Amino acid sequence: MASREMELTGFPQTSDPPRGPLSALLGRLIDPFRRGVPPEPRPPTGFFTDTTVCIGCKACEVACKAWNELAADGLHWSGNSYDHTGTLSASSWRHVKFIEQFPADHAPSHPVPQDPTPSGTGFSLDALLNETKEGRWLMMSDVCKHCVTAPCQQACPTGAIIHTEFNNVFIQPDICNGCSSCVAACPFGVITRSSVDGHSHKCTLCYDRQRDGLVPACAKACPTQSIQFGPIDELREQARRRVADLHKRGVTHAYLYGDTPSKSYSELHSFYLLVDHPSVYGLPENPFNPWLHMQGDYVRALVGGLTAIAALLAVLLLLGN
Amino acid sequence: MQTDTRLQTSNYATKPVTKAPAWHGLVAWDMLLNGMTTGLFLVAALSELVAPDRFAAVAQAAYPVALILLLVDLLCLVLDLGDPLRFHHMLRVFKPSAPMSLGTWCLTIYSLPLTVAAAISPFSEQSVALEWVRRLAVVIGLLPALGSAVYKGVLLSTNSQPGWKDARWLGGYLTNSALLLGCAEMLVLSLLMNDANAVTILRPALGLLLVLNLVALCLLGFDLRATLSRIYSRWEVFGLSAVSLGAGLLVPVCLLLVSGSSLFMLAAVMFVLLGSLFIRFVITALPHASA
Amino acid sequence: MPGLGTSFGFGAASNHPRDLANSDCVLIMGSNMAESHPVGFHWPVLAQQRGAVLIHVDPRYTRTSAVADVFVKIRPGTDIAFLGGVIRYILEHERFFKEYVVSYTNAAMLIADEYRRHDDDGLFAGFNPATGGYDLIPGAWEYACESGRDGERGLPRTDPTLQDPMCVLQILKRHYARYTPQAVSRVCGCRPEEVIKVAELLCRNSGRERTSAIAYALGWTQHATGAQMIRAAAIIQLLLGNVGRPGGGVLALRGHACIQGATDIPVLFDMLPGYLPQPRAVPGHATLAQYLANGKSYLARRGDVPNGLWKEDVVRGAWSDMPKFAISLLKVWYGEAATPENAYRYTWLPKIDEDLSEMSYFVKMHQGHIRGTFLMGQNPAAGGPNARLHRDALRRLDWLVIRDFFETESASVWYADPEVTDPKAIPTEVFLLPAASVVEKDGSFTNTERMIQWHDRAILPPGDCRSDAWFAYDLGKRLKALYQNSPLERDAPLRHLTWDYDGGNLGIEGEPNTEQVLREINGYHLGERRQLRGPAELASDGSTACGCWLYCGIFPEERTNRARSKGPQLHGTSVYGEWAWVWPENRRILYNRASADPQGRPWSERKKLVWWDETAQRWTGYDVPDFEIAKAPGYRPSADAQGMAAIAGDAPFRMHPDGRGWLYVPYGLKDGPLPVFYEPLESPFLNTLVRQQSDPLTVVPADPMNPIVPPGDPAYPLIATTYRLTEHYLSGPMSRFDSWLGELQPEMFVEISPELAGERGVANGDWVVVSTPRGEIEARALVTERLKPVIVDGRPAHIVGLPIHWGYAGETVGAIVNDLSPLSLDPNADIHSGKSFVCQLRPGRLRRVRPPTPLPMAPIPILADPIPETPDAAQPAGRFRHGQ
Repeated sequence: MASREMELTGFPQTSDPPRGPLSALLGRLIDPFRRGVPPEPRPPTGFFTDTTVCIGCKACEVACKAWNELAADGLHWSGNSYDHTGTLSASSWRHVKFIEQFPADHAPSHPVPQDPTPSGTGFSLDALLNETKEGRWLMMSDVCKHCVTAPCQQACPTGAIIHTEFNNVFIQPDICNGCSSCVAACPFGVITRSSVDGHSHKCTLCYDRQRDGLVPACAKACPTQSIQFGPIDELREQARRRVADLHKRGVTHAYLYGDTPSKSYSELHSFYLLVDHPSVYGLPENPFNPWLHMQGDYVRALVGGLTAIAALLAVLLLLGN
Repeated sequence: MQTDTRLQTSNYATKPVTKAPAWHGLVAWDMLLNGMTTGLFLVAALSELVAPDRFAAVAQAAYPVALILLLVDLLCLVLDLGDPLRFHHMLRVFKPSAPMSLGTWCLTIYSLPLTVAAAISPFSEQSVALEWVRRLAVVIGLLPALGSAVYKGVLLSTNSQPGWKDARWLGGYLTNSALLLGCAEMLVLSLLMNDANAVTILRPALGLLLVLNLVALCLLGFDLRATLSRIYSRWEVFGLSAVSLGAGLLVPVCLLLVSGSSLFMLAAVMFVLLGSLFIRFVITALPHASA
Repeated sequence: MPGLGTSFGFGAASNHPRDLANSDCVLIMGSNMAESHPVGFHWPVLAQQRGAVLIHVDPRYTRTSAVADVFVKIRPGTDIAFLGGVIRYILEHERFFKEYVVSYTNAAMLIADEYRRHDDDGLFAGFNPATGGYDLIPGAWEYACESGRDGERGLPRTDPTLQDPMCVLQILKRHYARYTPQAVSRVCGCRPEEVIKVAELLCRNSGRERTSAIAYALGWTQHATGAQMIRAAAIIQLLLGNVGRPGGGVLALRGHACIQGATDIPVLFDMLPGYLPQPRAVPGHATLAQYLANGKSYLARRGDVPNGLWKEDVVRGAWSDMPKFAISLLKVWYGEAATPENAYRYTWLPKIDEDLSEMSYFVKMHQGHIRGTFLMGQNPAAGGPNARLHRDALRRLDWLVIRDFFETESASVWYADPEVTDPKAIPTEVFLLPAASVVEKDGSFTNTERMIQWHDRAILPPGDCRSDAWFAYDLGKRLKALYQNSPLERDAPLRHLTWDYDGGNLGIEGEPNTEQVLREINGYHLGERRQLRGPAELASDGSTACGCWLYCGIFPEERTNRARSKGPQLHGTSVYGEWAWVWPENRRILYNRASADPQGRPWSERKKLVWWDETAQRWTGYDVPDFEIAKAPGYRPSADAQGMAAIAGDAPFRMHPDGRGWLYVPYGLKDGPLPVFYEPLESPFLNTLVRQQSDPLTVVPADPMNPIVPPGDPAYPLIATTYRLTEHYLSGPMSRFDSWLGELQPEMFVEISPELAGERGVANGDWVVVSTPRGEIEARALVTERLKPVIVDGRPAHIVGLPIHWGYAGETVGAIVNDLSPLSLDPNADIHSGKSFVCQLRPGRLRRVRPPTPLPMAPIPILADPIPETPDAAQPAGRFRHGQ
């Protein structure tokens, strides 16, 4: 469900000459209601993030901030591995997560055998070469999922949140009035309202860069191409090939998260290759679109209201005459 | 997918994934005021339409009160916005699939006939035409008022917040509660205006609505039991239930049953109001307490 | 550098990072490539995606280990033991690439009988316990040679069957026989099978059809035995036949954007451009003739005899052209004043009479012998080992000139250092001159793959900021003006120094024309008044001038700056031959003759790089052949051939006089021809492989502020190791004044294992104090399984991990880790041992007079103009004053 809302090219650029106070007031009142011509739909784009090659360098975080001129969030040491960003926020639109997974036993690693054989044989060479590496440090660059059916877009009452011509979810920052319905609706905890300007902000999938034919800043900066950008169907193809490749090489628990719709949620245009449960990465195991309940909730609300009204009417009619 | 039995030092799995919106005290007051204004209007309108000779007077007093409550409520809503000066952006689109949009439009439309009714109410006796206009306004206002009452709960249950997302009966409870509050307010107005006719009907009505609301609240509580037991200890849950159900509903019922004196009825209404406010604060706190 | 230089000929990476994508197996050791070279790390990851095996051997589980297929944890400083185990495996199971080894390495050379190797004591012939060093015994460590005419040295004797007990291969075998998997495990703490695993993976992925690469960085160089660790890797790569081949080689991942350039055109005290030795105040360097006659390896000589093997450089191989390089250099510096009659003013070059490497220099400063210093983009107050000594030394200067972007720890050493109680008592006069950043000036970078890339200025520098080139040029002009009328002979070099680089980029007055500098580096023909097209045009008769012979060819014509070229064409699998320019002579992969067999045919189709074209009678291929273009594979030199004519048609390592890769280094390294496992200078463990505890030639500057902990001292039982994080850069000036980077790693911390934390009663996030005899620091503790200790010789080897990035100047401030490290110089490259020393750790904080004060966070700059052709709503968020 992609809503094709208005384009705002009719708007004056900020480098236009300044307006008088009355003109500015009228502008404030009227401009949000003006409509332009919707842009032609373009092939849908998105992100495919292959977490198995993420090196946790955070170039994506910095590139995003540099391009979008976002302020730093402050200097807070978290003690949680190398993740001091903590969470996506109105001024952090990329967030790299670190998950250390090491064997639970606290015995120091690899005691030397007491009576070594001279050439170290007594084991299978092939088994040795194929043994899995002990311990994992999972890294993942979190970002807005750009859901095809986005609860934030469904919730937004001002029409600030739209799907762009690239089918990415975009918050028009000059429309948002900070009602926070989107913040409440997002099952991935992506959107945050800024305490500085009172509006909600998130990854724009570098809408400005895409319109000028460029690749988003984070994908451009990612040194190992963990973050890949492109037409979404090509990305899905690449991703599936990569998963098959990993399975062949023994990484059997690699899978894609969000590349296909589930019973309760649409597909994501920013989907991931993961190697553990989604909850390990701080993602919902089974994302659920709240709108699946909406109609039922309205019915129940009406039931609640109408029973009260019926009871009231009954008393009024019985006792009123 | 493998089952991972290894030691994990990440705390992403133990922290909530969602973010809580910055909706705090104002939202609880808004829920209350919304219920109070829409409920008062609906009860006044219905009682006036069904039994006009009994309720005309009280109803006339009710509409200005409802208007004032609405204006205070709207003020709360506007101030709760991140950027209050952009409140008019809510009217850029009509998006019934978004509860917030539906609610905004319902409230906006509801305010118009309510204003007319409230404005005309003091003068309606002076002219038959004005009276008909007033009645028309009241009738027109019924549906938007109901919509405004209905949307609030659905808004809060149609999202991903812990607690709220499971509250299937939140809309049912709040709408039901709106009418309960409206009835309580009518009762107070009737008492203040010494309108015994109205009081004799409204008192049992209030009692019946309290019982219905009890059912609605129990349904809501059932929805929220998992969340509440996760956030609060057993004693705290017990305490919450005691205050909500007990003080908010059972005590007023008892007060109403025990005596017909104004004092008891006023006291019952106080309990209802305070109890409702308390319940709304608990509801508001659910996502924040889950963090 | 000496490790690679002595093994192969050039002290630089043999292959380029992009070439790692062609490897079938990449061993990353002594490097945390993902964190320190994240962009270059793309290539090993790509190799992995194509099916290669990525191995990481390191004391900590890092972001590189997270991506690697195989991770082996070893104790810091034990790399030679591990590599020795691998070498032993290769030799024991005869997995070496036989044809390659016989033809292209010195495996078959016989070593003189004077070579003795006591297998237990870990020392080589000539060790003198009294001096603690090696006496220069004539002929020791050298090849056994035929007798030539007139008693001169003949060619080395060889045994192509590799069976003679004194041939290099058999010596190698005996030398590494004790490095069994069990012995290695006892030293390194890894499992014995892990040695076998890594060795087997390398062996399986080498040979005709497959190649493996080894990449290292400061995890090897910052050890007393750093050069020998690199040597061990070089031995492995030569045995497996990986050098000079695509996807093979030894990659030195250098630690700074232009450090390769900083050693090519050096500011090092002991080198001239192009790795010519700086003359010393010794008889052998008294005149130009002697300097040239003694050749490049004079200072590594093994005895003062006329026909020492080290003299071979002068006679055979590419270094026989040293006179051309040196004289052209003198011509470029002294111009008309340098003539054949005055030996091209060779006597004007300063002669070294003492150790003036960085650490020794600062010890002298500390002892009051230095009056003033220039620090240009250098921050020794935090970045120097034993930083407290460095800061104390700086405070004894009369004057100090600092050029940097920010007021670094060195610039504010006189007041901001928490140890300073009274700034007025500090006598140093400090001048802080603001520097222009890389986007504010023209110039070039020479990166780890020997590639020189030009960059143009993007914006003008703000205010008074000026580039280092502007500063140096201006300083030179002022000095020349100051001394122009001096009658003293010692001022003559300054007066006659050629110094005309006017005409730089418009916009800054006095900015030098840096392209003119590069033209000069390339060199020009004086008579014909044209640029030189390559080093073949260099002459020793004073007709050519050249700033660095290695760079000759980069600017072949007046207007052709090959460092600017951006040709996108891919040749073969990784050679972008027209992108920028690589020394020497645009050869991307060094020693690439070795990618073809002795007859000139590629070892395999899959690993083709260069080959002999029989019809055209020239070498051809995807890369510029690192060989004389018309020399046939079958060419064999006569016994008295000289220069490049002495290099056979199947000898790829043309910088060596025998054209071979050196498994065994007969001269060039001070501490031995073969790597021996020595314990680090400071270690909680005793050496269980050889009797000699640590490298006897490690230099420890004597200073009361530099006490060293004896081995096994129970007061300092923990191993300290220092390293980088991706988020910050070096001692912090380039990252800790930037809140976008500061917030990624906002505080100094130390990493310890849960075992050590449990022993000391430390929880994650607690403050701890780490101490050594040099100093104490406090920091938060990050308790992590990634630093779980290995078991060495029966007990855990606890590691305290110390990121190096903090200091007292910046938006995020913290302890200076170098307050803990010792001053010690490795014998071959004068590098300190930052990767392994000892320390103690306790919970708590330091009681101090005042903590360092951070700067307030600077606001993020907002672009003034909107982005064109983009709707207002899609402009960057900053436009809406978000964040102000």
